Amino acid sequence: MASEVKKIGAKGYILPALVVAATFITIYTVTVIIPDMKVMKVDPTKYAMEYIEKDTNGKPIIDETGKPKLSEAGRGRAVYVREGCVYCHSQFVRPQDRDFGSRVHAGDYANETPNVLGTSRTGPDLSNEGGKMPDAWHVGHLIDPRAYTPGSIMPSFSFLSEEDMGDLVAYLQSLGRKRLEDPKNKGVYEAYYPEADTAFWQKSEHHKPNVDSATAANGGAGIFRQNCAVCHGTNGLGNGPNALAMNKKPANFSRPFFKAYSDKTWYYKVAEGVPGTRMPRWKLILEPEQMWYLVAYLKTLPQDQEVIIQDYQSIDDKAWEGQSILPNKLRASYQKLGEAKLHGTYQANPGGLTGSETEGGSSGGH
Amino acid sequence: MINNKFLSSQEGSSAKYFMLSAIVWLVIGMGLGLLGALEFSFPDLTKGISQLSFTHIRPAHVNMVAFGWLSMANIGSCLYIIPALCKTKLFSEKLANFACHVWNLVIGLGCWSLMNGYTEGREYAELREPFDILVLVGLLLLSYNLFRTVLNRQVEKLYVSVWYIMGAFFWMPLVYIVGNRTFVAMDGLNDGILNWFYGHNILGLWFTVLGVGIAYYMVPKMSGKPIWSHSLSMLGFWTIAFFYAPTGTHHLLQSPVPEWAKALAVIFSAALVIPVITVLTNFWMSMKGSWWMLSTNMPLRFVLTGALFYLFTCIQGPFQATRGINWYIHFTQWVVGHAHAALLGTFTFFVIGSLYYGLQRLTGKRIYSVRLVKWHYWLLFLGFSIFYLTLTVAGLQQSAGWALGYPVGQWSLTLPPMWFSRAVGGLMMFFSSCLFAFNIYKTLTAKQSSSDESELDMAVPVGKGGN
Repeated sequence: MASEVKKIGAKGYILPALVVAATFITIYTVTVIIPDMKVMKVDPTKYAMEYIEKDTNGKPIIDETGKPKLSEAGRGRAVYVREGCVYCHSQFVRPQDRDFGSRVHAGDYANETPNVLGTSRTGPDLSNEGGKMPDAWHVGHLIDPRAYTPGSIMPSFSFLSEEDMGDLVAYLQSLGRKRLEDPKNKGVYEAYYPEADTAFWQKSEHHKPNVDSATAANGGAGIFRQNCAVCHGTNGLGNGPNALAMNKKPANFSRPFFKAYSDKTWYYKVAEGVPGTRMPRWKLILEPEQMWYLVAYLKTLPQDQEVIIQDYQSIDDKAWEGQSILPNKLRASYQKLGEAKLHGTYQANPGGLTGSETEGGSSGGH
Repeated sequence: MINNKFLSSQEGSSAKYFMLSAIVWLVIGMGLGLLGALEFSFPDLTKGISQLSFTHIRPAHVNMVAFGWLSMANIGSCLYIIPALCKTKLFSEKLANFACHVWNLVIGLGCWSLMNGYTEGREYAELREPFDILVLVGLLLLSYNLFRTVLNRQVEKLYVSVWYIMGAFFWMPLVYIVGNRTFVAMDGLNDGILNWFYGHNILGLWFTVLGVGIAYYMVPKMSGKPIWSHSLSMLGFWTIAFFYAPTGTHHLLQSPVPEWAKALAVIFSAALVIPVITVLTNFWMSMKGSWWMLSTNMPLRFVLTGALFYLFTCIQGPFQATRGINWYIHFTQWVVGHAHAALLGTFTFFVIGSLYYGLQRLTGKRIYSVRLVKWHYWLLFLGFSIFYLTLTVAGLQQSAGWALGYPVGQWSLTLPPMWFSRAVGGLMMFFSSCLFAFNIYKTLTAKQSSSDESELDMAVPVGKGGN
């Protein structure tokens, strides 16, 4: 009895075993293989491959190993992955998230591998971190987080080499920039407001108050103090307490060019936020009616006394002939001024809260 | 001589070595987890030491407890259960012992390399190429070994545990190949989808299937009563086989992956309630009339506590995978608590019961101290309960913070008490694991031995004294 070993084998169980195999393979095909064929096969040349070094013609440089050479930010991304930043920081702005800039779209992650979407947010989301803080802030914060954000539980990365630290900061500063360079978004961010977005404007008409009325402006003042004053200051001069820590300073609404804004431009900027800065998309937080109240208030803000050359191109060269000041030189300095205003980097009053970084310290004396 | 020692062909040796290695990794892995938890309360605890920074400890902890502890303990139990159920010897003890050495090498070197930042960067699949290949070699050897053992069986019908275990050893190599960047690397969101296909299926098609298979063996064996319904157990197996694979995308519900993939993930996640209810109904109906055994039978108490946590986990899981709830609680510590409830609460409790049961029989020695087993149970149970409840509360605080749009810097200031009590729970669990390892060590080195089945009964009456 004991010597005779029965050979039962797989008889009768072949079919169930095949079913197990088939089930798995079907489900795998449906959930993994098909999405991977369908999800965004984006042409890499259409996207700014900011993580790869390019030559003057915009072609990627290939190193001796046959792989594209990584840029500073590209090496920084490898540091980000190696140091495990993804365990506490997501890069995945959801529709309901506030204060993290515009939400992510299909194609935002093209050419990035491995994924750093993240599943846990012990710290803030970093999708649009680039440009919010100066480089020096990032370096200091990585070395001693609690000196920069009290109560933070981020580990200190003081052990990073100088090179790794520089790369990592370059990567952090690159986050969210890709979206700005996305050809899809071009029209959206360049125009003051897109008329074509009919759904957006239809929604805005709901309960729209009279934006020229004092009542509406009064209502908007309260909303401004609750939501905007922390960055833009109580008088809209761009000098709220948060402004201290920002790389891109909040707008000073007393600048004359804000007077040129139409109601719709105001509304659009408030609703959609300003990409590349900390200005959030208020349409996710406020009702259209509240945003119109804000517009009414913003329109009433006073203009300061600074002297502005409205149109430097209208200077007549001939009228300056024979004068001691060369018109071209003058024109160049006006042009610089005009550009500074256009980009919002012009400082009428250097040395104040909103003063530029280089002049901020030295101007205390006068 | 060396051959005999390292590649023993003694019956049951591979199961024993897998189980003992697992206990070593449990102590080290839990120690790492505890250190990580302490760093939430004292962020500058290991300042300047890159290996001990939280971000380096975390992948080492996860890989060590998931592959070193839970997988190896489960495999050890399978190597014991499959021959027992098939009434035959393991196909090759040498092969299984070889796989054990390979895995120990991977866990030791792999986790050290993770602490040094040598990582693949995909969550739960951090081990780099050489380790991935070794893990897969070990897995395939074990699969081959167990499948050949089942083919050599001396009983006609396959018990449900055999189904579960064979399923696990069929799916896991596939899941591992798909989930690791060594074998399949993609970019962008595709990489994310693969990441969570792997991240969730290593749980569903490996830990769950093995854990439930082991519990299906242990509950009737320990209680001495047959399983309540065989057909219900098979329904559980087939539904888990059908429903689990596509659920991973529920980790990416608010990301721009295609809507239909998300919908599929949500529907199938919700459907997972079916296998859970069948398994638990079966366990609890089998125990009907014998619940008194919990007061004396410690291994059974471990297994059934695991079943209790299984209920919590698997009601919570489908619930939080639905869009509305996920909208609220995603990205928070609630999810971390849920993951621990599955791997630590449920499957660790299952497999600890099976280790106490199996190791006594494999070594032929009675456990050194029943009192220590009780301490182990209560410290682990209470420590885990503190840990789980704390993370749930912390998660809900975070959810409220995100939903109301408060900046992280504001609501994170309310969390330190949670971080601290989590570390307290972690300390209790770490201490319980040390007691466990000590107890097993003393059992193995003890002179006494007994081949009488009733002598090494795990059911030691309370009245007989602690030791």
